[in-house]
Amino acid sequence: MTQFGRQLGIGPTDNTSDQRTPRKPLRLIPSVARESFVPVVPARYVMRTHEWDMTRIAPGRPRGDGTPIEVKGTLRNENGTPIRDALIEIWNANHHGRYRHVEDASGLQLDENFFGMGRVVTDEDGNYCFWTISPGAYLARPDIGRWRPKHIHLSVSGGSARLITQMYFPDEPNNASDPMAILMGDGFENNIGKPYETSDLDVDEGYRFDIVVGGRNATFFE
Amino acid sequence: MTQDNGSNLLKATNEDTSGPFFPIYFQDESLEDLTVLGPGIVGAPSGQHIILCGRVLDRHGNLANGVLMEFWQANAKGIYNSPDNLGHPDLDPWFNGYGRLRSASGEYKFCTIMPGASDNRAPNITITLFSDGISRIVTQVFFEGHKANETDPVLKSLGTDDQARLIARHGGHTDGGAEIYLLDIVMAGANETPFFDDFES
Ligand SMILES: [Fe+3]
Repeated sequence: MTQFGRQLGIGPTDNTSDQRTPRKPLRLIPSVARESFVPVVPARYVMRTHEWDMTRIAPGRPRGDGTPIEVKGTLRNENGTPIRDALIEIWNANHHGRYRHVEDASGLQLDENFFGMGRVVTDEDGNYCFWTISPGAYLARPDIGRWRPKHIHLSVSGGSARLITQMYFPDEPNNASDPMAILMGDGFENNIGKPYETSDLDVDEGYRFDIVVGGRNATFFE
Repeated sequence: MTQDNGSNLLKATNEDTSGPFFPIYFQDESLEDLTVLGPGIVGAPSGQHIILCGRVLDRHGNLANGVLMEFWQANAKGIYNSPDNLGHPDLDPWFNGYGRLRSASGEYKFCTIMPGASDNRAPNITITLFSDGISRIVTQVFFEGHKANETDPVLKSLGTDDQARLIARHGGHTDGGAEIYLLDIVMAGANETPFFDDFES
């Protein structure tokens, strides 16, 4: 007998979400098959040592346009246990809202001093930290004038953890109309970076973004 | 940050769409072909080489461009490289069972070895899909012609039509001797692939 789990929501004003979101509720995994279902992602250390500082393409080079920011936080499972040695892959648009990605056809300005992709690994207490340029918002649906608010993409993988999410910024004008934010409802608060002072750092703004990997991943190991 | 419902659990960070611009820069060729370890390295996992390939389609039957796919499977002897199996005599040191690729077009091709049957399971590969418009969705693929398909608990939990949507068809073999298996994944619509809820299961 099929048992059902969550019904995934479709992001309003998001055509792609309409085309790609499964319409049937998700099925529950029979408990005897659970262990042979959930991946364990091996730790992968493929980053270059300077990738934590995305404000410049390489050490000693000029900074990209816009506001340099620091983002830091702790990666934990739902029980509060820190997840160490996890790979965090980060990507965000430049100050003008453009990605250095071959499929970004927005025509917005590239910044010769901004790459927009970086990788860091969590330390033994689950902490991570990176610098980047505060991303620009971009017009995702020119036909209806709908913007994507400023956001930074983060992919977390390692051991039992697997999560792709986005960090948003407080009090941004486009937050309320964003289809992803609408799907998150009240939980959207959890995906907003919390500002902190960075007076003694070489960045202008700081955002704390603690990440909790939930569900299936909470108890796997350690 | 703590959850209501009387539980001490932290509230999980919301999953969010990967968007269309997951960096191709993060691509790692050694994760797209698990039959080889890397350039110039002598040594290979044991097992029958297979190629799992097909298309990822949207609700209208169009290719879903820009999909990120991850794969997780047991080795040829049915043993997963998980912490529980640390030191297991049948672990294959040349195979860790995790693959990842990004397809620009929505067509995919993953080179690996045929997983063995583990516990009471038929040979299978877990597939995790990310793309613009959706958060992570997961399913498992099985292989045509395996007797164990008839008793597999995941397949048995589904109706006949849905079972067929998870069984890759055999499609001949390559000159190099790899067996080809074909599976289209339909993200939404009439012929929708069954996806699973690993949060609530
Ligand atoms: Fe984006």
